[in-house]
Amino acid sequence: MNAPRPLNLVAELTYRCPLQCPYCSNPLQLGAVREALDADDWARVFREAAALGVVHVGLTGGEPSARSDLPEIVAGAEAAGLYSHLVTAAVPLDPDGLAVLAERGLCSVQISLQDADAEHSDRIAGTRSFDRKQVLAAATKKLGLPLTLNVVLHRHNLDRTREIIRLARALDADRLELANAQYQGWALLNRAALLPTRSQLDHAAGVVREECAESDRPEILFVLPDYFRDRPKPCMAGWAQQHIVVAPNGLALPCHGAAELPGLEFWNVQEHALAECWSDSPGMNAYRGEDWMPEPCRSCDARKQDFGGCRCQAFALTGDASATDPACGLSPHHAAIEEAVAAPKEDVFRFRFPGNAAD
Amino acid sequence: MSAGLEARLRGILAERYHDRHPFNLRLHGGDCEPDEVRRWVRNRYYYQTRIPIKDGVILTKSEDRAFRRGWIRRIHDHDGDDRNQGGLELWLQLAVACGLDRDETASLRQVLPGVRRACDSYVTFVESHDLLESVASSLTELAAGAYLGHRAEAFRKYYDWIAEDGLDYFLSRTHQAPRDAEEGLAFVLEHADTTEREERCVAALEKKCSILWQLLDGVEWGGRRPQLANGVRLRTGDEPMVVSPERAIRIGGSGASILEACDGSRCVDEVAVSVREAFPDAPNGLESDVYAFIEEMERAHVLELPE
Ligand code: SF4
Ligand code: SF4
Repeated sequence: MNAPRPLNLVAELTYRCPLQCPYCSNPLQLGAVREALDADDWARVFREAAALGVVHVGLTGGEPSARSDLPEIVAGAEAAGLYSHLVTAAVPLDPDGLAVLAERGLCSVQISLQDADAEHSDRIAGTRSFDRKQVLAAATKKLGLPLTLNVVLHRHNLDRTREIIRLARALDADRLELANAQYQGWALLNRAALLPTRSQLDHAAGVVREECAESDRPEILFVLPDYFRDRPKPCMAGWAQQHIVVAPNGLALPCHGAAELPGLEFWNVQEHALAECWSDSPGMNAYRGEDWMPEPCRSCDARKQDFGGCRCQAFALTGDASATDPACGLSPHHAAIEEAVAAPKEDVFRFRFPGNAAD
Repeated sequence: MSAGLEARLRGILAERYHDRHPFNLRLHGGDCEPDEVRRWVRNRYYYQTRIPIKDGVILTKSEDRAFRRGWIRRIHDHDGDDRNQGGLELWLQLAVACGLDRDETASLRQVLPGVRRACDSYVTFVESHDLLESVASSLTELAAGAYLGHRAEAFRKYYDWIAEDGLDYFLSRTHQAPRDAEEGLAFVLEHADTTEREERCVAALEKKCSILWQLLDGVEWGGRRPQLANGVRLRTGDEPMVVSPERAIRIGGSGASILEACDGSRCVDEVAVSVREAFPDAPNGLESDVYAFIEEMERAHVLELPE
């Protein structure tokens, strides 16, 4: 198979995380995934990725700073010539730890915030962490590293979009990702508690427009969630097209959730070169390109833009990973989305922690 | 006609005419480096070239022979005729007196994109508005006569490296502008005979003031020194790319060499000159392409251009 050139490696260093966000994109079977790669293994993965054409690595998790060898891992990325971007919840990482990472070549930092103030943010995180996040944001700027803040939006914080933007501005963030929750994994489990209303979203979109007109800092990314758009998201820019995810156990995947799809065989970077995992593993090739597409995607012009949507969402909502993403209004299963949007809301969260995990 | 309208129009000029623009304050205060004066002369020439074109458009809007006979003089003033060399020629004389190359200036290839947009928007405005509004938009001339007199003085005082014959344009306009303004004002006061028309005249003059303002913003942009934004890395090689915290953007080989020249030491103009030196035989549009690329990279947060 002639595989495209990947540009980005998502290095999931661990699934450990002191936070308990109820929309975490990690798998529900947290404990089943062993942490198999040491810093040297990661360094090799980075070198192989660079040879494949990858230019950028997201160091993520779980919480990457839960690993004590994070500085060595950053150094490995730097040695491979990759642009390293740390995705952190600011726990346990502190400013001194961040300075060490910067010394080792870290290029940029993304800090997750859960809300605009300590009370609400800490409630969602399930841990006191809001104040630390602000301290780490300031430390990031002081080190001269670009700072991205990421806030997952949902029913309980959307109405504070303006406060969130103002906070990001006060922290002098370069970029603010207002990422509407994606209903997979933990977020699907908590969907009734997280799903916003259409009017909340419209209002937030208006706030974003107003704030962008006021100042061009930070740069704001806000995309209406697929549940409310009638069209799917172009998930991962297409299955196994630009992004390689390597999970803590060494599995090379096309996206965060792919390991949970039944019947797909992915290869492990401990047994295969990354290039083989990328180009030859049956799982990577399962939905690469367009050959797998059913109708209505197969004959739809939008397939070049949205690639038929998200395979994990198709599986979660239809039981068939090769179905058209039900977020699409043309999908025969679109009613599943409409019903979820219309369903009564709940306020009870299942927070992400081992006791709530599915294993 | 309304006595109030004239006061309103003059009030707009008092508040928004480009004599208050930071660039003009520096120019007239003797604070510009020779390169900045040259940048302004080179770019403002594009505005000069638009004037007879917009006046030609205005001519087509009038059914009145007497109006046209009066207005056509403005075209002669700029393009010249059997007796006068005309304002465009005098402007090129200024360019040469500043040390610029005549042909290079006349080729317009180094005209900066913000300047181009501002000047083009003046022509577009006149094309898409009626005669009254078009004439009203020319009333910045009311402020121009005296202002150009000051300019000639300031140039003599602060920029004595510019030969005296370079100032002929300003001196010629100190006579022409007040006369043009008188005629334009009389026309507007006569024809703006309803409140609605008055409002349109006011809006037209405000628009024109903002065009002149944007022109100078565009000139200043050419003096900014682009550099890779914080956290952006340029990867050269077979397949050049810029990589930033959340993105990797493929760029063509020429894009990579432009970005390499954007090292914070050169201003936009100098980056374009360095690319021109590398490709002396490239077509006239090369500089515009360089500017457009820099603008695109600024929008994509790849480059920053500190003020
Ligand atoms: S989403 Fe929350 S719980 Fe999941 S890894 Fe990120 S910070 Fe931890
Ligand atoms: S039918 Fe398929 S390709 Fe067309 S818009 Fe829907 S998901 Fe996209």
